[in-house]
Amino acid sequence: MITIERLKKSFDDTPVLKSIDLQVNKGEVVCLVGASGSGKTTLLRCLNLLETPDEGRIKIGDKEVSFGEKPISKKDIKDIRKYSGMVFQGFHLFPHMTLLENITQAPLTAKQQEKDVIMKEAEVLLEKVGLSEHQDKYPDALSGGQQQRAAIARALMMHPEVMLFDEPTSALDPQLVREVLKVIESLAKDGQTMVIVTHEMHFARRIADKAFFMDDGYIVEEGPADQVLANPKEDRTREFLALLEDE
Amino acid sequence: MFDTFRNIRWEYLFDLELAIDSLPFLLQGLQNTMIIALFSMVIALLLGIVIGIARMSKYAVFHLPARLYISFMRGTPLLVFVFILFYGLPVIGIEFNNALVAAIVGVSLNFAGYNAEVVRSAILSVPKGQWEAAATLQMDYFQTLRKIIIPQATRIALPPTFNIFMDVVKGTSLASVITVQELLYSSRLVAGRTYDSMTMYISAALIYWMVCIVIGFFQERLEVRYNRYLSN
Repeated sequence: MITIERLKKSFDDTPVLKSIDLQVNKGEVVCLVGASGSGKTTLLRCLNLLETPDEGRIKIGDKEVSFGEKPISKKDIKDIRKYSGMVFQGFHLFPHMTLLENITQAPLTAKQQEKDVIMKEAEVLLEKVGLSEHQDKYPDALSGGQQQRAAIARALMMHPEVMLFDEPTSALDPQLVREVLKVIESLAKDGQTMVIVTHEMHFARRIADKAFFMDDGYIVEEGPADQVLANPKEDRTREFLALLEDE
Repeated sequence: MFDTFRNIRWEYLFDLELAIDSLPFLLQGLQNTMIIALFSMVIALLLGIVIGIARMSKYAVFHLPARLYISFMRGTPLLVFVFILFYGLPVIGIEFNNALVAAIVGVSLNFAGYNAEVVRSAILSVPKGQWEAAATLQMDYFQTLRKIIIPQATRIALPPTFNIFMDVVKGTSLASVITVQELLYSSRLVAGRTYDSMTMYISAALIYWMVCIVIGFFQERLEVRYNRYLSN
C-alpha cells in the first residue's frame, strides 16, 4: 500500500528526515513512535505531501512520485492525496459549519456521488463515531473528544485507502482520550490501513501490527509492535520507552 | 481669551427653522451621496477581494501589480486622485461625461486599495490548519478559499470593512468639489444664500452621522450572524 525509499527532508538547513525506508501493507496498522523532534510528524505529512520531501521516492496505492530531480506537479499532489485521509492533533474542523456540514462538505464538493448517497453515508458514519445527536451543532459547542471523532468521520467520508493520524489524542484531556482511541480501534477491526503517530504506548501495542521507532531523522528500529514496544533490541528505543514509563 | 468666549453669539448656533426648511433640499443632495457611496462600496469591496487575493499570490505577475496598486491608492489623497480623474484626464482626451461617474470611479478605486489590505489580513488570520485539512480532503485552492477560508475571514473582516464603508460615505463629500450636487454641495448652496454656514454644515454633519448610524446597525446584525458558530 505504501512504500517509501530513501526519503529525505530538511527545513532550511536542518535535516529532519535523513533517509527513511518504510513499507506498509494493505490492512496493516502501523505506529510511528519516538521523541518530539524525531521526525515522525514530518514523515506522516510527507505521505500526503503537506510537506514536500527533498529526495527519495513515495509509492502510495498506484501512484508513485520521485523527489529531487524535478519539482512535483499539482497533479502528483492531487493523485497522492486521493489515497489518504488525515486526522490532525488539533482537529481542524471547519468552525463555521455544523458537524454534518463538516463531514459532507468535501464529498459534496468532489461530487463523486449523489447527494442523498453522501447524506446517508454521513448518517451511518456519525452513528459509528457516536455523534448522531450532535450533527447540527457547531464544533465550538463540542468537547475535544467529540471534535476529534468528527474529524475522523470527516476523513473517512472520502474513502481513503490509508488513514493517517498525527498524534490524534495529544491535545485531549486525559478522560477524553479513550473515546477517540476506541473509534480508531474499531477502524482497525474493520481492516482499515492506518499509520498512527502516537505516544499512547499501551494503545499502540494493542492495535498496531507494526511499530517504527524514530530517532534523529532515522528509523532506528522496526518490527512487530509487541516486540518493538515491549522488548526492543535497540538501546535508544529502550531509553525512550523507559522515559515514558517514568512519567 | 475670555473676551472671545464673551462674544460668542449663541443665538446663531443652530437655526432649527432654516434646518427644517432646507431639509428636503439637502435630502435631494443626499440621493447623489448615497448613489456614489453604495456603488463605491460594492465596487471597492469586489475589487478589494480580487486585489487582496492577487497580493497574496506567489506569482509576481499577480502580486507585484497588486502591491503597486495598494501602495498608490493608500499613498495618495482621494481628493488629488479625483482631481486627476476629473480635471487631469480630459487634458489627454479622456473625459467623463458625468461628474457623478467620475466620483464613483475615484472613490471606489481608491478605497479598493484599503479593502484589499483588509481582505489580505483577514485571510491570513485564518489558521493554517484549515487550509491543510481542506487539502487532505482533496479540495483545491479555490474550493478551499470559497467554502472554508472566506466564510471565516469574513467574520474577521467585518469591523474593518465597515470602517471603510463609513469612510466611503464621508469620502463622497469630495465629489462636491468636482461639481456633483451631493449633500455637502447642497448644504453649501443654502449656506451661501442664507449666510448661515453654521446651521447648514451642522445639518450636513448630522445627516452624514445618521447614514453612518444605519451602516453601523447593519454591521451589528452581520456580526451577530457571523459569530453564531462561536459559543459565547
